[in-house]
Amino acid sequence: MKALSNNLRLFWQGTVLSYIGMFHWLRPQTYLASKILMPLSQLLFFTFLGISATGADSADFYVIGNAIQIAAVSGIYGVTMSIGGDRWNGTLPYLFGTPANRMMLFFGRAFIHVIDGMLGVLIALMWGVVLLGLDLSHTDLPALLLTILITTISTSALGLLMGCISLITTNVMFVNNTVYFSLLIFSGANIPIANLPAWVRAISYGLPLTRGVAAARAIISGMELAQVAPLLLGEMGIALLYGFAGYWLFRIFEQVAKRRGSLETV
Amino acid sequence: MNTATLRQNARAVLAVAEMSFRQNVMDLFIIFTVLIQPLLVALLALWMLADKGPDYIIFVVVGSGMTGLWSGLLFICGNSINAERWSGTLETMVGVPTPLALIVIGKNLANVGQSLVSMASSYLLAVLIFGYDVHIAMPLHFIVSLALTVVAFISFGMIIAPVFVMNPGVQQFQNAMEFPVFILSGFLFPIALLPGWSTPLSYLLPTYWAAQAMHLSSSGGAAGEIFFAWGMMLAFSLVYLFIASILFRVMLVKARTDATLDME
Repeated sequence: MKALSNNLRLFWQGTVLSYIGMFHWLRPQTYLASKILMPLSQLLFFTFLGISATGADSADFYVIGNAIQIAAVSGIYGVTMSIGGDRWNGTLPYLFGTPANRMMLFFGRAFIHVIDGMLGVLIALMWGVVLLGLDLSHTDLPALLLTILITTISTSALGLLMGCISLITTNVMFVNNTVYFSLLIFSGANIPIANLPAWVRAISYGLPLTRGVAAARAIISGMELAQVAPLLLGEMGIALLYGFAGYWLFRIFEQVAKRRGSLETV
Repeated sequence: MNTATLRQNARAVLAVAEMSFRQNVMDLFIIFTVLIQPLLVALLALWMLADKGPDYIIFVVVGSGMTGLWSGLLFICGNSINAERWSGTLETMVGVPTPLALIVIGKNLANVGQSLVSMASSYLLAVLIFGYDVHIAMPLHFIVSLALTVVAFISFGMIIAPVFVMNPGVQQFQNAMEFPVFILSGFLFPIALLPGWSTPLSYLLPTYWAAQAMHLSSSGGAAGEIFFAWGMMLAFSLVYLFIASILFRVMLVKARTDATLDME
């Protein structure tokens, strides 16, 4: 019981401190710029591009797809920086030197970003309603919230995996940016998956977001939770796959770093 | 200014441009900004706009390339002075006899020139991967439009860099400035789709007139409209260079007076 309580405390402290540590240099205007204005302008750009391609009637398709894709801002950039920050700030040796439960340490890094990511998606959907006429009148709101939660978790799981990559490369922003923009194409946020070539569809279904975006569109169009349950289960499966792949890499990097004495460079 | 001074300045600008190009060419952030991101935007746009017919392909190629030009201007030219500050070379650069503004022109020349790779790569994607037959309707007009676009972008960069140095608060909005310019400039869709109140904002951006000239000359538009866009680019370039000369003077006086040249 005591071990459980210790682990939960560790999870929570790691969660809060890594988030504060990452944002300690931020001012409200930076948060406003990166978490509110940037997603809004991205949402508008791709929605207008979509309207230009297929007409105003299809605006909802692009609004929903790009609003859900905003989960990747926190999921990829935020989580990666939380994991990689230990290397850049020189705290990685201390982290690897503690007897703390690694799983709690690792997954704790993503927790607040899931909450933050959900907030980002909700703000984006709000912009969609206010500025682009998104109709939520047929939406089962609890089901939509659950969809956003699961999608944000799966995107953060990808962030955890990429965070591990940031422990062995100096060019993590290159990888992050490429993955973030690739999700705009391959997740179905802007192009119906059915319209993509077969090899692209195969990639799409191996990525987070794809099923979440599809589930969100279905729920907003009036479907019930039971009807999108298979999509959400699939998205959860993707989350587990990426999350544990990241954890496995994290443990391997720790062992290699300790064996080679290369904690800062791995 | 006599011929010898002009020659000296031109040599300084070219030397800076060469050095900047060599430094940038292996920088993965810059490679992403001017090559990977525009390619991904082009890929996305080619799939999204596939139903609009083959005539639309050149619009996508040029528009995607313009996104690379703007992103490069915003993130690379915008940081051209700050980058020196971060690497501790700003004081030396201010101390040399060559004016700082000339050095920044050289850096912007390299950055904007390098960003043109975004258009070339989008063209290659459309032709080699998608197999489209892409051609430029008015090649001569297109070349002049491209040259004036480079001038207009360099001039715009001369304003952004000192503004970012003197106002760190503005620079925090750097990430948020990328897509609004894509939207307002009509890089990939006509601004007629936007609400009417935003049109004057578009007219105030040299990127809009650059996109107009590039799209019209590549897709085949009225020559009068292209000439007008050229005129607007030239006018904006002159105004921006004039404003930049004031900004550089203010920045240097402020930095020397406060003795905080290398501090944020």
